Amino acid sequence: MKLIKKGAEADIYQTNWQNSKAILKIRKVKNYRNSSLDSKIRKQRTIKESQMISHARTFGIPTPLVYFVNLEKSCIIMQEIPGTPVHDLSESKIIKLSKEIGKLVGMLHKNGIMHGDLTTSNFILFKNMVFVIDFGLSQNTIKPEDHAVDLRLIKEILNSAHAKIMTHAWNNFLLGYKSIVGTSYYAKITKLVSDIESRGRYAKVV
Amino acid sequence: MLGLGIESTAHTFSCAIIEKNGKKGKILSDVRRIYRPDNGEGIHPREASRHHIEQSSLVLSDCLKEANISIKDLDIVSYSAGPGLGPCLRVGAVVARSLSSFYNIPIYPVNHAIGHIELGKLLTGASNPLVLLISGGHTMLLAFLHKQWRVFGETLDITLGQLLDQFGRSIGFASPCGRNIEELASTSSNYVPLPYSVKGNDVSFSGLLSATKTVAKKNKIDACYSLQETAFAMISEVVERALSFTQKRELMIVGGVAANKRLSEMLKDVCKRHNCKFFVVPIRYAGDCGSQICWTGLLESQVKSGSSLKDTFVTQSWRLDTVKVDY
Repeated sequence: MKLIKKGAEADIYQTNWQNSKAILKIRKVKNYRNSSLDSKIRKQRTIKESQMISHARTFGIPTPLVYFVNLEKSCIIMQEIPGTPVHDLSESKIIKLSKEIGKLVGMLHKNGIMHGDLTTSNFILFKNMVFVIDFGLSQNTIKPEDHAVDLRLIKEILNSAHAKIMTHAWNNFLLGYKSIVGTSYYAKITKLVSDIESRGRYAKVV
Repeated sequence: MLGLGIESTAHTFSCAIIEKNGKKGKILSDVRRIYRPDNGEGIHPREASRHHIEQSSLVLSDCLKEANISIKDLDIVSYSAGPGLGPCLRVGAVVARSLSSFYNIPIYPVNHAIGHIELGKLLTGASNPLVLLISGGHTMLLAFLHKQWRVFGETLDITLGQLLDQFGRSIGFASPCGRNIEELASTSSNYVPLPYSVKGNDVSFSGLLSATKTVAKKNKIDACYSLQETAFAMISEVVERALSFTQKRELMIVGGVAANKRLSEMLKDVCKRHNCKFFVVPIRYAGDCGSQICWTGLLESQVKSGSSLKDTFVTQSWRLDTVKVDY
């Protein structure tokens, strides 16, 4: 097995599953964490991720196929998506794809899923299709507040990691999102996003 | 070049003098007086500012004496202009303005949070770190990009310092309570499950605070232990997320809570996993101090001339990600 990426939560290996290439995602023990807290987190997220990845496929979100789950070891074996994370693409491409990402997020929300970790590294472009990965922090929720937290997070990421193209990318994202969830829900969520921002430390009080 | 820095954002009134030589800075003196509220109570802004007013001239003269310098030797004076408590900020600003106008010394308003970061860089030698700023006023993950500090993660409600202080006060400690909680926590290893709230790169502590207060009714020691374990694990996780996202090779922690040993230990482990260098600001300069203001003012003086007196405001809400950094 080849280690591809040491992520924040899990290590990603390239492996084989029934003669085809696959990805092994394993949430290893973290010694710095209290052990009961650690095993709870690792187990919960492995379950959540494997369920949600499959669930999201049922309403047309491109996600990797889950082949196998081992709860004891907190690992998931899934289909490899051999594309490029949106984070690593050119600025013009990111701006363009933001609309598609907005649509995907809209579809997730419309079907009662909050992704929980919307960064540009968690969208992979492969053969002109954007795949969504990393559902470890996702939740089944129809609460508008939760959906707004999702939007705020991707906004924060665009504002920091992609500061130069922030305005374009964010506007495109919102266009895509709006086209899926509809005008009234869109207005509600964007209002909530500014509410959350205004609760932030030393935010401008309007 | 000699600078005087005046800090007065919250409970600390401090003056410091630094001698800057190229990129090097030598702290000649750093004198502080800290306002202590009664046990179980937080900062009362009016009382804190009264404390600062009473102490200001003493602190200033001690600071000059210790550095063996007269006011006329100073090249610049800087003060913390925000974010912080208005009444407290105004005390530092008044002292700075008086010195500036009477002795004709250039004056620099400084962002307090940037001060934490710049002093941290000076003292630890970190060059391009992911910064974890954790104090009573901030809980933020930052990286420098295109002349500004960008926020990669932060708290959505209260800060780590507030979490520890508000909980500590509820069981009768006087703020800042971090050290008391750490001492009590080190005597337990019984983990009581508490809400763990990580949202992407952000954290939220308010639910954890209420839940810990409930646990404390049964057992204060276990509550302290479980609170630290949960809150610090949350912080460590978002640090890991930000490290893996930004691919930074250095982590630096600054701010008052950087003094906590358990947190350092956990973050050291995180750094080991990600093969990254770990820097923590020396304890004496972790909390609020004049040096952070002084050093940042000196850095700004490289590229800017002093502000005119009519522009030397204080701003209670002044986010550090709005500050342009040109030096």
